[in-house]
Amino acid sequence: MALFEVSGFRSYSEVRGRQTHLADRTNHYNFGTKTQEFAVPVGVDPSGFLKTCNHDGGVCIDMNHGTTTLAFKFRHGVIVAVDSRASAGRYLASNDVNKVIEINPYLLGTMSGSAADCQYWERLLAKECRLYRLRNNHRISVAAASKLLCNMMLGYRGMGLSVGSMICGWDKQGPGLYYVDDNGTRLSGRMFSTGCGNGYAYGVIDSGYREDMTVEEAYELGRRGIAHATHRDAYSGGVVNMYHMQEDGWIKVCKEDVSELIHRYRKGMF
Amino acid sequence: MALQDLCNYHDILVDDATSESAPFGKRIGFKNMSGLTLRNSTSLFKFYIPAPEYLEGSPIQFGQVSTIQSSKDILHPDSILQSLSSLTAPPLASSQSVPLPFPMSHGTTTLAFMFQGGVLAAADTRSSCSGLVACPAAQKILPIHSHLVSTTSGTSADCALWKRILARELRLYQLRHGRRLSTGGAAKLLSHMLHPFKGTKLCVAATLCGWDGGEVEECRDQDFDLKDCREVTKSQVRSLEKSLDASLDKAQRASLEADGQLSLTRKKQSFSGPRLFYVCSDGTRLQGSLFSVGSGSPYAYSILDQGVEWKLTVDEAISIAREAVYRATHRDAYSGNFVDIYHISSKGWTRRSREDLKEEYYREKEKRTKEKRDVAGLDSVCAEK
Repeated sequence: MALFEVSGFRSYSEVRGRQTHLADRTNHYNFGTKTQEFAVPVGVDPSGFLKTCNHDGGVCIDMNHGTTTLAFKFRHGVIVAVDSRASAGRYLASNDVNKVIEINPYLLGTMSGSAADCQYWERLLAKECRLYRLRNNHRISVAAASKLLCNMMLGYRGMGLSVGSMICGWDKQGPGLYYVDDNGTRLSGRMFSTGCGNGYAYGVIDSGYREDMTVEEAYELGRRGIAHATHRDAYSGGVVNMYHMQEDGWIKVCKEDVSELIHRYRKGMF
Repeated sequence: MALQDLCNYHDILVDDATSESAPFGKRIGFKNMSGLTLRNSTSLFKFYIPAPEYLEGSPIQFGQVSTIQSSKDILHPDSILQSLSSLTAPPLASSQSVPLPFPMSHGTTTLAFMFQGGVLAAADTRSSCSGLVACPAAQKILPIHSHLVSTTSGTSADCALWKRILARELRLYQLRHGRRLSTGGAAKLLSHMLHPFKGTKLCVAATLCGWDGGEVEECRDQDFDLKDCREVTKSQVRSLEKSLDASLDKAQRASLEADGQLSLTRKKQSFSGPRLFYVCSDGTRLQGSLFSVGSGSPYAYSILDQGVEWKLTVDEAISIAREAVYRATHRDAYSGNFVDIYHISSKGWTRRSREDLKEEYYREKEKRTKEKRDVAGLDSVCAEK
């Protein structure tokens, strides 16, 4: 392919053999996507193994994204709100997990799906973003950062990763919000919600969303979305961690307990 | 138990032991005409039984070449065992050897909640068949009698059939006993009728929304001078008794005592007010004050959780229900088209005219573009300054 010839990829591997992933120069062009982070041993076929696991009648490995995260763009930036519950099947591992990774002062990533996968790959993304900044003397755009994560996911597609993440930031184009998936889905949008509580959150933020909301209204909408989702979804709970992405960086807005919020909202109920 | 006698429950159980098992899961509910000599002819599930050959195969393979069937028998040891063993093998297990013609998915959004004005039930009208919109104007809320309405979710055919069976049984009850069966009784009846089909592919998830309180309660209401739409709970009954002893005038008290056992006795819990039950074909039967069923239910639940309170007015309740169904249809692919809203009060059910959600969508889109224009206008004004 013409691009291979232009980037000189083949010539490097032919000349130097397999140690190219240690050389900084290759990574500079490909951002580490051509060479995989984890070498899969010969003879092991993770995607084939997973396919046999997931057919009807056999063992079904159910990857549920047990969480609720939401993010939406509005006039004054991006609001990111997440719950804080980590579950392992029916066992609640923790009610106080931070599901937002602060990549740098102007980029945030949310996590849903497998906690291990999300934490690892988003930290890797943070490393790549930092390297980009050092090499190019300007910040990485949100589109490029989400594309990096997407390509990492595509490298291991079908092998059992479980990541549902939203990359939010503010760059030269303004506020940016991308949804990135373990299937390699990458979508730009105005409003996303991930996790198994996402349906409940969508109902709330769909009905309350207005482009010209004030900042306080947007905070309240994000809080309500997570609170009502945790009320109905068993795998979401804990506290609402909310961030507001502004032009000069993000700020952490609040960390409020969900049960107190629900009591406040449902005061007039039966 | 009176209810068991009513639906001839024992007869059905007895019939299990005597009927042949066949790879047709629904057989258990049907009486075999040949063995009917001793049975009560007013049995519940009297359906026409076609020629026995057709019963050996599944309805899905009706009319197909028999080679398919025999190969299937060979492939599935269950069905071989089925035909060999007779009494003890449950016919329910045999339905698993029958493949579905297409993957079934139950897509809908229905909701119902109680408030001071009665019960409000709302549903979308999209009837989907695994990706195809089979009918954009289906009826998912089926009235059963003047004070009971049922929202349906699951397989449309099953829901329509069972709703009609329930309506028939409730009418029979009313004719025999002179009063309407309560919503709780109707829910129990439906749940027991569906129980023999547990484990089969029958899928019915209904919420029964009704107003309890028949003729007896109405004349009581006049005597007490109670307001409409008021629940009479046990504690209220006791407090009423106390207040009556203290402050009622003699004529009313006399009439009350004449009513005697029927009115203020604790044994006969004569309740009057709205009631909401959820009944599912897997056996669930729940009483509650707010339910939403279907693939669009998460989206509806969060809106309802935000806004539903006891003291809503009828108009507010209708707008919340409409908004909840609209949001669910907005996000869920299997819900859409129109929204039906039924309101059940002490005077019976009333139905609003069907509203097209497309209009709602366009109205909202206009509002958003207008907001965007306002925002852009404000920005330009600020820039100029």
